[in-house]
Amino acid sequence: MDSSIAPQISRRDLFRVGGVGAAGLSLAALTGCSVFGSGSGGSSATTFTIAYFGDQKSATALQKRLAPKIRSIDKSITLSINAVNGTDWNDFFSKILTQIAAGSPPDIVGVPTEGLQLLAEKGLAIPLDDYVTKDMSKLKSYFADVHPSLVEAMMYKGHLYELPVDFNAGNMFFDTTLFQRAGVAAPAPDWTFDDFEAAGRKIATLPNVNAFDWVVRLWGSWTSFMYANGGNLLEEGKYAGGDWLWNTAYAGDSAAKGRQGGWKWGQPTANSAAVVESLEYMIELKKAGLSPSPDVGGGGTLQGLFSANRIGMAIGGGFWAGGLHDAGMKNGSFDVQYFPTGKVQRQLLGTGGYAIFKSSKKKDLAWEIVKLLIEPESFDIIYPGNTTTSARRSLSTAARYKTTGPEHWQTFYDSLSDVDVAPIPAPPIYNALATSLNQRTTQAISTGNAKSALDGMQRDLESALASKS
Amino acid sequence: MVIVIAAMAAFGPLLWTLTTSLRTPAEAFTNPPQWLPLHPDFGNYAAVFSQIPLGTFFVNSVVVTGLIVVGQLVTCTLSGYAFAMIRFKGRGVIFALFLATMMVPLQTIIIPVFVIVKVLGITDSPLSLVIPALGSAFGTFLMRQYFLQMPRELGEAGRIDGASQWQVFRLIYARMATPAMATLAILNFSSFWSEFYRPLIFLQSQGKFTLPLGLVGLQGNLGTGSISVVLAGVILALIPSVVLFVVAQRYFIEGITAGSFR
Amino acid sequence: MTTQLAVRPRARAAAPPKRSKKARRGEAVFGYAMIALSVVFVGVFTFLPILASLGLSFFSWDILSRPKFVGLQNYGRLLHDGPVLHSFVTTIVLAIVIVVLQIVIGLGLAVLVQQRRHKATQTVFRTVFYLPLLASTASVAIFMGYLFDQKFGVINYYLGLVGSGDVPWLTSSFGASVTIVLVTVWQQVGFTFVLISAALTSLPRDILEAAAVDGAGPIRTLARIKLPLISPTLFFATVVGLINAMQLFDQPFIMTKGGPGSATTTTVMVIYQSAFNNLQFGYGSAISIVLLLLILLVTGIQFAASRKVVFYQ
Repeated sequence: MDSSIAPQISRRDLFRVGGVGAAGLSLAALTGCSVFGSGSGGSSATTFTIAYFGDQKSATALQKRLAPKIRSIDKSITLSINAVNGTDWNDFFSKILTQIAAGSPPDIVGVPTEGLQLLAEKGLAIPLDDYVTKDMSKLKSYFADVHPSLVEAMMYKGHLYELPVDFNAGNMFFDTTLFQRAGVAAPAPDWTFDDFEAAGRKIATLPNVNAFDWVVRLWGSWTSFMYANGGNLLEEGKYAGGDWLWNTAYAGDSAAKGRQGGWKWGQPTANSAAVVESLEYMIELKKAGLSPSPDVGGGGTLQGLFSANRIGMAIGGGFWAGGLHDAGMKNGSFDVQYFPTGKVQRQLLGTGGYAIFKSSKKKDLAWEIVKLLIEPESFDIIYPGNTTTSARRSLSTAARYKTTGPEHWQTFYDSLSDVDVAPIPAPPIYNALATSLNQRTTQAISTGNAKSALDGMQRDLESALASKS
Repeated sequence: MVIVIAAMAAFGPLLWTLTTSLRTPAEAFTNPPQWLPLHPDFGNYAAVFSQIPLGTFFVNSVVVTGLIVVGQLVTCTLSGYAFAMIRFKGRGVIFALFLATMMVPLQTIIIPVFVIVKVLGITDSPLSLVIPALGSAFGTFLMRQYFLQMPRELGEAGRIDGASQWQVFRLIYARMATPAMATLAILNFSSFWSEFYRPLIFLQSQGKFTLPLGLVGLQGNLGTGSISVVLAGVILALIPSVVLFVVAQRYFIEGITAGSFR
Repeated sequence: MTTQLAVRPRARAAAPPKRSKKARRGEAVFGYAMIALSVVFVGVFTFLPILASLGLSFFSWDILSRPKFVGLQNYGRLLHDGPVLHSFVTTIVLAIVIVVLQIVIGLGLAVLVQQRRHKATQTVFRTVFYLPLLASTASVAIFMGYLFDQKFGVINYYLGLVGSGDVPWLTSSFGASVTIVLVTVWQQVGFTFVLISAALTSLPRDILEAAAVDGAGPIRTLARIKLPLISPTLFFATVVGLINAMQLFDQPFIMTKGGPGSATTTTVMVIYQSAFNNLQFGYGSAISIVLLLLILLVTGIQFAASRKVVFYQ
């Protein structure tokens, strides 16, 4: 080994080199001070933050619209609307939790059914009862426009936590091209599981097509079959209360009859007969070649394959109208119908709105902003192109669905009034429930044994409930 | 022959992504797959640019990744050299503690890190990603291993000839370490360029987003975004890295000739 | 001379030349100065948070209310938590398979690329093998989801041409594990490839030339000379590879959600679920401390074994 290399040392070399590290660091420090600044270093009382799960382009547009209105209420306020670019609710929730842990939660957070009861139970969100009562005269037209089933889904233990902004009910989408090719008539509103199966068998004869496909998740999965089979993962009940709202905002509305203080999810019933049956039905569908093993996750693959005319039927809500259109599916090549009737005709739904955080120092202002957020203009800005269904019936119009389709767009909103609907079972332990649902469903499909998988789910839920208390 | 098959396996999924991004989803998922984009449709790419400020994300990613790569080259080369070549009390223990920091998943320490970032007042700034990443046990370990491969005789000879510790490091070993530094830079570039979780938690405003975080916006509300547009975004994010890697290879392959082996 | 170097390399712990106390102190001061920057950054931004996590493991905390001290309760619970214990097994099995494949394939590719005569060809191959490393896991999962689709996927299409085109890649326990391994190795083999390529290119040419003169064939040169010489790099790739693979999260989290059942539920997924889904941050911390100890043990074993098989010049 050559070890006789004498280093050629020059002072200049030394300076040049010693300087590199120092220069690099001071550069970083300098740019840090001047160019970047620190965005929310000053998260003092004067910055008002709204966070929701969505894309930032809409958030910026919304900020532009709301900022002048908010300045007219309180000049010292800087509004900051953050759309969290997460891949799913998990990402969004992690981010909000981290901000809470660090002591800087947003003032207003967009929360779907999934998280409502958790935030309410932990006292993170405040009830809106007093604000609503105070402003009832101004809110009359809003409530007149929003179906009470959505409002009830936003209640917990008699209190209202959010004003619904959007929702999606689990309808059945079908590919009209494939239906025609297989010689199947479009389903009727009162179609049954038998009709569904018969249509599936004909479509399954087409090459390179799945008659039906689905995704493992809580909303619009085998859970839709479970609802139509009269089952649920948790014992259904309702909290008492809510009359303060029903007797004022919905006085005289027959749809508000029997409404109470929000959905009460009781003891686990994941291995009850009706639930086991419906998951076994999915296994039967697979064995009969009517559906493949489902994917887990967001449903992007499902939507992609559906828009490529590879799937005859799939569960979707109003958001699929925009989704399929964006994916290049022509208006008219797909349509929608209520979910088929099993033992009962019943669909599940998820809804979303904005909750005010207890930690907010400007709760009155937050309420004023919530009222701005439920205006139709705000909805159009946040959700352009039919990527969800507005909670306001007046926004479900032919004009709105003219470009995207489907032909029977009325199905989306009529789901609330014409068919029995119930929100997805999202108790305070929602996240544990979702994890278990994912694992136990895939277990059932891969082993073909629904009963033992659901016994496992029953245990998961029992232990989640036990460790919570 | 083997290498060509391997290359096909490595490149196939990306090629499929490329060709699929050049078609609308309605015609995308046909088998056999079309490997050559004979009738490319650039609509998806136009959609990417119209839906998100790709240029801003790109600049942010370059700044963040660049500062981290350069910063770690400095910190890791220094410490890697010290752990390999210099004897000091506690060396083994400190190095072991360094290694231990690699063994805890990011998910468990993200909250304390976010709290520290907040205390420093750099949340929602590129610095919130850069500063916590300036030190690295991985980089230190990597540089240490390469320094351990180098002959000690060179340094000893240098010392006998009157060079200082720093001069021995800088003029002999640091020069020989250019391939290792290129390796560190390349590996760091790839991991921070594609980083998603920290940006998700640390950044708030879209003007600060890095590419992987920004591209998620293409997936749309409730996943309603077009899959082909998403794939176009994936391809666009890859292009600059390819260019950079081709350029960087020069150091990788020829770097050694600048060193003292031969 | 060459064979001597390969077979009997000097041990790292060779006795240092006798030096004065002052010289030794000077060297130590220099050493501390050199590690100072790294110590500060790693200390503040990684070590401190780990200590916080260790402390948290003795508490029950849901973030939303005050932490409650529970002593060793979290650790006690862990010992009887079937899913957690199962996740350790899953993690270790997946990690070993992934690392072995990464090293073997990475080494093979690096050697094959180096044999190419033309620099341009080398550049093309290097770029191709490195590319997957640059795509974020979220995006990889998206297109891999399509490629591995049971009915419409490209992979099953080609398998169908040779006879068996109905592999349940993501929907059977074994298939999902295989898919996770394949996708992870596909994406990360560039890491070992880059490391080993760099090590191979920096081998001293005089030794290789001497080997050629001695008449050693390419395989013999690789096995007897090159591999021992790059063994520090191989060691590094194995240690770091295992540390990373034992923290496998993204691929199963996105592609299988840990399923079917819990077939691909890794320990980091359980940690994430405990903390961010079940809001048991103390318990999540306890699991990650145990994972830390496990990885520490595995790494310790590797360092101990390395004394026998890793050669430093």
